[in-house]
Amino acid sequence: MTTTLKIENLTYRRNLKKILTDVSLTLSGDKIVGLLGENGAGKTTLMRLIAGVAKNAKGMVSVNEETALPTRKRLISFSNPLGGLSASLKITEVKSFCQRVYPDFDEQKYDQMSSFLNLDESQRLSALSKGTREKLVISLTLARQASVYLLDEPFSGIDSMSRKKIINSIIQWKPADSLMIISDHYVSEIAPILDEIVVIKDNTVAVHKAADAIREESGQSIEDYYESLYGEADSND
Amino acid sequence: MEFDDKVPIYYQIKTVIYDRIIAGELAPGDKLPAVRQLAVSLTVNVNTVQRALREMIAEGVVISQRGRGNFVTDDPQIIERLRERLITQYLKQLYDQLHRLRISDEQMIDELTAYIEGQGDSNDNNAKN
Repeated sequence: MTTTLKIENLTYRRNLKKILTDVSLTLSGDKIVGLLGENGAGKTTLMRLIAGVAKNAKGMVSVNEETALPTRKRLISFSNPLGGLSASLKITEVKSFCQRVYPDFDEQKYDQMSSFLNLDESQRLSALSKGTREKLVISLTLARQASVYLLDEPFSGIDSMSRKKIINSIIQWKPADSLMIISDHYVSEIAPILDEIVVIKDNTVAVHKAADAIREESGQSIEDYYESLYGEADSND
Repeated sequence: MEFDDKVPIYYQIKTVIYDRIIAGELAPGDKLPAVRQLAVSLTVNVNTVQRALREMIAEGVVISQRGRGNFVTDDPQIIERLRERLITQYLKQLYDQLHRLRISDEQMIDELTAYIEGQGDSNDNNAKN
């Protein structure tokens, strides 16, 4: 079944500050979509609203026409930065925890990714490097059988070897009919695997376009195109 | 594999596979790797590989057999036409670039001949493969 994520007129404020204003966006099909925008543009907030972690927004979010939060949460796998877990837990204990919380957690799939990414299941969370921690987060997120996968900045601060391995595991283990959204503020590292990009700017969706259409129409790289949206405003010279 | 991010990725995938066919790394009638396997080996999206395959099928170079996979055509005429097309395409790039430098046609032929003669060593290496 084709996955459709629909966002209609979504507005979100926090402490009287506008974070997102009137966001409407429909993403459909088995795509990988890059969610781009500067730091603080509202990418993480949008993901939290889609996943139903952030609440009290105006507007509507639906996945396969389901708007109710419990149903939506079952359809969405949101990368969890593991902040709420005790640092003394071993990876294998984190895995059992996820198995208990998520009935759709596929242990066999997790084990395949874990061995591909060379995770040592006996290591404690506190001992993990940033790259290893991100590999664990990706494995746990993709091990769920969901319709929508939300990966929040999986590559920030990650060395290029780990990045390549993570990108490879995304291509290998993303279920065929699922929709995946990856947020990043540095686009060139993920550009080749994106079907579409969505740019959040000035509190709303500024661009939603197919990646190859941008290359074809403008002759620009995704990164150059993305930077051109910010025009002169950011240049200091 | 590194792609040029200014050029549509599906187009570059097509180029890679066409190059392999003409170089003989993929022989007429050979089965292409599965879509996901191609995506992983090229580090690109599955949908982008599928788009490249659709175009290669439309151009008759790749034949899709339901349930069996995708195969390089065994029609020698199609392969020969592809070979000519690729040669013309690469020659045109070279010609246009040299032309921009205002190199005359005669000079181009001389330069190219001299360059090929200077390539003796690497040609020997290629011959071994």
